[in-house]
Amino acid sequence: MSRRTPAWPADEWLRFLDRFAIWIVLLLLLAVAALLSDAFLRPNYLFNILRQAAPVGIAAVGVTLVMIAGGVDLSVGAIISLTAVVSAVLMEGDAANIPYAVVVTLLVGTAIGLANGMLIAFNRVSPFILTLGMAIVIYGITQIYSGGTARGVVAPGFREVFNTRIGGLVPVLALAFALVAVLGMFVQRATRFGRSLYLIGSNAAAARLAGLPIARVTVTAYAISGFCGALGGMALLARSGVSSTFAGRGLEFDVLAAVVLGGTTFEGGRGGIDGTVAGLLVLVLAFNLVNIVGLDYNAQLMVKGAIIIAASALYARLKVQR
Amino acid sequence: MTALGARVRPLRRYGIFALLLLLLAVGAVSSPEFRTPANVANVLNQSAALGILAVGQSFVIVGGMIDLSVGQLAGLVVVLTADLMQGRPELTLPAILLALTLGAGVGAINGGLNNRLRIHPLILTFGMLSILQGVIFVYTDRSVGVVSPAFRRIADGNLLGVPFAAILLAVLSLGAAFLLHRTRFGHHLIAIGGSEENARRAGIEAARVKLVAFTLSGLSAGIAGILLAGRLGTGYPNAGAGYELDAIVAVVLGGTALSGGRGTIAGTIVAVLVLGITSNLLNLLEVSAFVQMLIKGLIVILAILVNQPSRRPA
Repeated sequence: MSRRTPAWPADEWLRFLDRFAIWIVLLLLLAVAALLSDAFLRPNYLFNILRQAAPVGIAAVGVTLVMIAGGVDLSVGAIISLTAVVSAVLMEGDAANIPYAVVVTLLVGTAIGLANGMLIAFNRVSPFILTLGMAIVIYGITQIYSGGTARGVVAPGFREVFNTRIGGLVPVLALAFALVAVLGMFVQRATRFGRSLYLIGSNAAAARLAGLPIARVTVTAYAISGFCGALGGMALLARSGVSSTFAGRGLEFDVLAAVVLGGTTFEGGRGGIDGTVAGLLVLVLAFNLVNIVGLDYNAQLMVKGAIIIAASALYARLKVQR
Repeated sequence: MTALGARVRPLRRYGIFALLLLLLAVGAVSSPEFRTPANVANVLNQSAALGILAVGQSFVIVGGMIDLSVGQLAGLVVVLTADLMQGRPELTLPAILLALTLGAGVGAINGGLNNRLRIHPLILTFGMLSILQGVIFVYTDRSVGVVSPAFRRIADGNLLGVPFAAILLAVLSLGAAFLLHRTRFGHHLIAIGGSEENARRAGIEAARVKLVAFTLSGLSAGIAGILLAGRLGTGYPNAGAGYELDAIVAVVLGGTALSGGRGTIAGTIVAVLVLGITSNLLNLLEVSAFVQMLIKGLIVILAILVNQPSRRPA
């Protein structure tokens, strides 16, 4: 890196942009949204956006950790689908079954993540294709398990609890998302595991020379991703009550878009959960904006695509001003 | 390449060929119907669209990129060509021209955006996937139009007993193999996939080469769209959904490195046949669609474990 005049303030300014570019995009978008509709100034509406974002957001926390270490997890959409069905089936419409259902669902998600992690860590195969194959396997299992239709009955109370607004304002589901994100940020920043992820992602060879247990860290990251996927599946169930076999299909790409928008790259070694949260909010806000302008769902798909491209491009431009 | 690399290479390169032979043997033994000419033609016809998409995708992946938009692009071609023709034979040629231009055009847009914006091709083409899906469903949410008889013949007809679609796939594959392995463009693309930085330093115009790769991928979606339309007979809006992932799977199973810089068209074609024969066999053995999905996923995982020994010596 050779810069002609390494003036300190400019350097600091660049670093600031680098770190907060996605938040700037988010604020710009929010300003535009507020100009177009005053709904975006109502706390109620904003918290509802957080509630909508919860399933994808919770899953994205785990995927961010995987991607910091240079991996990728395309099986989260399938995990969300499977775990939504599993938890609905285990609940059988009885509130007494909820603890059991939650525990088993989390175990299922974590086990899939462990399988991903071990296959990747010990065989050093492309995580992209491996987790894609895993997604196909999981969809097959989900279909066999559910018989190909929506199955299971959500326990009474499960959805109600998560959709309650604390103080009439903050939905529990939004709070759960925030909690998972904060926990994730703690893991990412304040633990040895979290810092290992960055080193492995930025230079795996150096990490190995430094004696880091690469396989163990990799397996743990994927296991966490599976765990978060299961949480996301239950969040989806709580949000929409849907437990059909393909409820989460395609969500893996929404997750990826949020993570990458947030500044975590496919190469690994940089970014973080704080960025992912901002990236996701940009996506969800854009979607709501289109909705409130009055376009139908199909037109929303077009705008969603355009926003993903435009926001990524804008972000890349803000970030790399050198 | 080190000695180890040289020793691993035959397995990596020929593993998928061995899998194909194994499947053929299993098929011949387990199902008498498998060997019939009608069934062979059926497999080839069903594999042709995916094969063409996978050939196009091979260029993009060898160059170190990826194109998720091709499935929906093929779907858009299906809808628009069927709606344009409304069964009228005289509109066959305009429909084919529309398919090829639209495919190559969207591919070129992908390539241009990829060069201009600094975003990962996976995200870029996922955005494009979403846009195209939106365009299709804004245009129509149910099947529209009817293809002309000639379109049907392209997809289902045969020449001296050999299916047209298979001939088309064979010709395109040979052309693609020539382009990738025997021309300057192909060598430059492989070099870019290996290390774009080094390729640039060697004086390769990376942006132009990458633009061509994306255009080829889009063009392949246009051609695949013609075949899909011919098979379906009408403009079904979900016709192309999911094809992009199948194409990527085929390319990687065929031994092309997802990180770019290494790959063959022959491997891709063999992998497409492996996928096609597997699903054909499972159908003949009357395995349920759900279990088929499970088995397909397991094959992808197994094949990747055998076929892609390491990303790069660390």
